[in-house]
Amino acid sequence: MSLLEIKNVSKIYGDLKALDNVNITVEKGDWVAIMGPSGSGKSTMMNIIGCMDKPTSGEVLLDGVDISKQSNKYLTEVRRDKIGLIFQQFHMVNYLTAVENIMVSQYYHSLPDEEEALEALGRVGLRERARHLPSQLSGGEQQRVCVARALINHPEIILADEPTGNLDEANENIVLDLFAQLHREGTTLIVVTHDPEVADVAQRTIVLEHGRVAREVHNASWGK
Amino acid sequence: MSKRAMFLRMVTASLLRRRSRMLIALLSIGIGATILCGLLTIYYDVPRQMGAQFRSYGANVILLADGAPSLTHSAVQEAMRAFPEEKIVGATPYRYVRMDMVSRQQSFTTAGTDFTQVQKTSPYFSVEGSYPENLREVLVGKEIAELIGVRLNSVMELTYKPAEGAGTQDQANAWGPGASLAGSAEGWGSGLVNVSAVLDGEGRIASVTVDAATQTPEIGGQCEEEAFTSQFIGQSLPIADVDAVSGATLTSHAVLSALNTSVRSDAASNQAKTSSFRVVGILTTGGEEEGYLFISEADMAAMTGDAETLDVVEMSVSASAEELDGFVDAVGQQEGVRARLVKRVTRSEAAVLTKLQALVFLVTVVVLLLTMICVSTTMMAVVTERRQEIGLRKALGASDGSIRAEFLGEGMFLGLLGGVLGGLFGFGFAQLVSVNVFGSSITFQPLLLPIAVILSMAVSALSCLWPIKRAVQIDPAIVLKGE
Ligand SMILES: Nc1ncnc2c1ncn2[C@@H]1O[C@H](COP(=O)(O)OP(=O)(O)OP(=O)(O)O)[C@@H](O)[C@H]1O
Ligand SMILES: [Mg+2]
Repeated sequence: MSLLEIKNVSKIYGDLKALDNVNITVEKGDWVAIMGPSGSGKSTMMNIIGCMDKPTSGEVLLDGVDISKQSNKYLTEVRRDKIGLIFQQFHMVNYLTAVENIMVSQYYHSLPDEEEALEALGRVGLRERARHLPSQLSGGEQQRVCVARALINHPEIILADEPTGNLDEANENIVLDLFAQLHREGTTLIVVTHDPEVADVAQRTIVLEHGRVAREVHNASWGK
Repeated sequence: MSKRAMFLRMVTASLLRRRSRMLIALLSIGIGATILCGLLTIYYDVPRQMGAQFRSYGANVILLADGAPSLTHSAVQEAMRAFPEEKIVGATPYRYVRMDMVSRQQSFTTAGTDFTQVQKTSPYFSVEGSYPENLREVLVGKEIAELIGVRLNSVMELTYKPAEGAGTQDQANAWGPGASLAGSAEGWGSGLVNVSAVLDGEGRIASVTVDAATQTPEIGGQCEEEAFTSQFIGQSLPIADVDAVSGATLTSHAVLSALNTSVRSDAASNQAKTSSFRVVGILTTGGEEEGYLFISEADMAAMTGDAETLDVVEMSVSASAEELDGFVDAVGQQEGVRARLVKRVTRSEAAVLTKLQALVFLVTVVVLLLTMICVSTTMMAVVTERRQEIGLRKALGASDGSIRAEFLGEGMFLGLLGGVLGGLFGFGFAQLVSVNVFGSSITFQPLLLPIAVILSMAVSALSCLWPIKRAVQIDPAIVLKGE
C-alpha cells in the first residue's frame, strides 16, 4: 500500500478548475518536488494533502484512509499526528520565542518537552537563538525554526510550500541539507517549488499545468 | 512540561508580549469593574448613606430646655401653641436615661418616646419587626442588637437606677394620700408582674392596674381583669391577703407583693427598678440611634417614676423658612424652653431611597453591557489581528476546543486582572462619590473584591464567546495562501 494515493482528484472554484483530475502516488520515504507556473494548483494540492481542504471530487488515500470523506475533527487529528508543515512565509507565533514556537506543536500533539524542542533547534543550528522572538530572527533563521517545528513530532510526511522562496542561497542550502537528512531518516517529503535547484535534489519532479499533471520527471542525477 | 504549564505560558506570553492591544482590553474591563464595584459599594451603602441624609427630611425644629434644668411636658405643651396645629406633621418627645442590662453587665442609653410620632418625624428609621405598641416592648438599635446578640422576641431585663443622692424614701410616707404607686414582683416562671395604683385622699387604694404580660394570658392574665383587681379597692397598704385567681396563685401573690413593695411613681425615687422588655423591633438608621434602646413614654415613666421630664422634642413642621423663624421667636418668649431650627431638604420622601437604588442598579446593568460590548469589540479585533496565528495553530493540529480554551483563558485572565484592579479602584471611586455626594465616607466591603473578580471574569468570558466563535471558524488553509 502506498503512503499517499491521489486518485482522479478535482478541485473546482466556481467555473475554475484549480485541480483537474489529478492522479499522483507517493511511496513512503519518497522525496517529491512539485513544480509549475503560478496558479497551476500547487498550493491547492498541498492544502488537500495537508488535510486543510477537501477535493470537489476524487479520493485522497493517506495510509489507505480516504481523507476526503472524513470529518474535520479527524482531519485535525491527521494534521497533528502525521503531517509536518513548512510555509513560504515561515508563520511563527510572533509573541512566542523560537523554542516556545516548537513547543506549541508538541503541545497540540502530545506533551511539551523543552529539552527535546531545544535539541530540534540544535539540529537546525539555532540552539543559541532559542529565547529569541521571531522579530529578532532573520528570515532564514525563522524558516529553520519552522523546519525544526515540522519535524519535532516525527511526522510521516513533511509538506513544504515554497520553503526556500524567501531565502538567500546560503540559507536555502542549509534547509535543503536538512531535507536530505530527513529523507535519509525515512521521512516522506513533498516540496512545492519554483526553483529548479530545489527540484533537482528531489527523487522526482511532478509538473502541474492548469490543474493537471503535465509530466513527471525522475531525477537522472539522483543518488549520485 | 505539563500541558497546563504550557497553556499558562502561552496565555501569559500573549498578554505580556502583546501589551498595547491587551492593555486596551484590560483597561475596558478594569474601568468596567471599577465602576461596577464602585456602584455596588454605593448600592450597599446607600441605605446607610441615605439614612443619614434622610434624617434631615424629618425633624426641622427641635425644642430644648432653656434656663430650666430639663424640659417638661407642660413647658412643651405650652411651646407647641406657637405652632399652628395644621402645620405640625409630628412632634416626638425624647427622654434619655442610662439603663443597665445586669445580666450582660452593660448599660445603654434608653430613649422613652412616642412611637406614632417617631414615624412622622423620623421616616428614615428602618425597623425590622415593628415599633412597640404595647407596654414592656423595646425597639433595639442595630448596634446593640449585634453587640449583645438579641433578636426579635428576645426578652431584655433592664434596670433603672436613679442618680445617687436622691433622698431615701420612707415607705409609710410613700403610701400617703393621693400618691401614685408602682411596683413589681416575680410571678410564674420568674416573669415580672407590674402593678400601678393610685391612693385616694385617705390613703386607700382608689385604682389598680396590673400588667401581667409575662404570664400565661389565659391563666395569670386574668389578674389583669377587674374581677380580680377590684378586691384591692378601698384597702390600705400593706394588704394582708389576696383572693387568688384559681390556677394563678403565683401571679395573684405577685400582684399582692408588688403592691406591698410599691413605691411612689410620681416623685423621684432612688429605688432601682427592673422590668423585662420584649424586643419587637431592630432599628437601622445609619446614625447614632443604632446605639440606643427605645421604649414607650409610659414604660419610661414607670421605670423612672417620672412622667414629666423630657430632654428634647423633635418636631416636623411644614412651613416656609420665614414662618419657621416666626415660630422659633414665639417659642423664645416662653420660660424654660427654646426652639432651634434644623436644616432639612424640602422633599421628604423615603421613596427617593428606593428610586436611587433602582437607578444605581440600572446604571450598573448599563455599565456591564457597555463593558461587554467594549471587551467583545477588542477581542474581535484581536481575533482578526491574529487570524494568521489562529490558522497556523489549526494547521499545526489545534482542535477547536484548544483554540476556544486559549482565547477564553486570555479573556478570563484579563477578567481576573481587571477585576482585582476594579475592586481596588472601585472602592476609591465609591469613596470619592460618597464623600462628594453624601458627605461621608464608606466602609470597605471585603466581600466585594471576590464578587468584582468573579463578575468581571464572567463578563469577559461572556464577551469572548462571539469572538471565539469567529476564531474557531478560521480556515487553516489561509496560512498557505500567505496573505
Ligand atoms: N479559495 C479559492 N477560491 C477561488 N479560487 C481559488 C481559491 N484558491 C485558489 N484559487 C484559484 O485556484 C488556482 C490555483 O491556485 P493555487 O494557489 O493552488 O496556485 P499555485 O500553483 O499555488 O500558485 P503560486 O505558485 O502562485 O502559489 C488559482 O487560479 C487560484 O486563483
Ligand atoms: Mg502557491
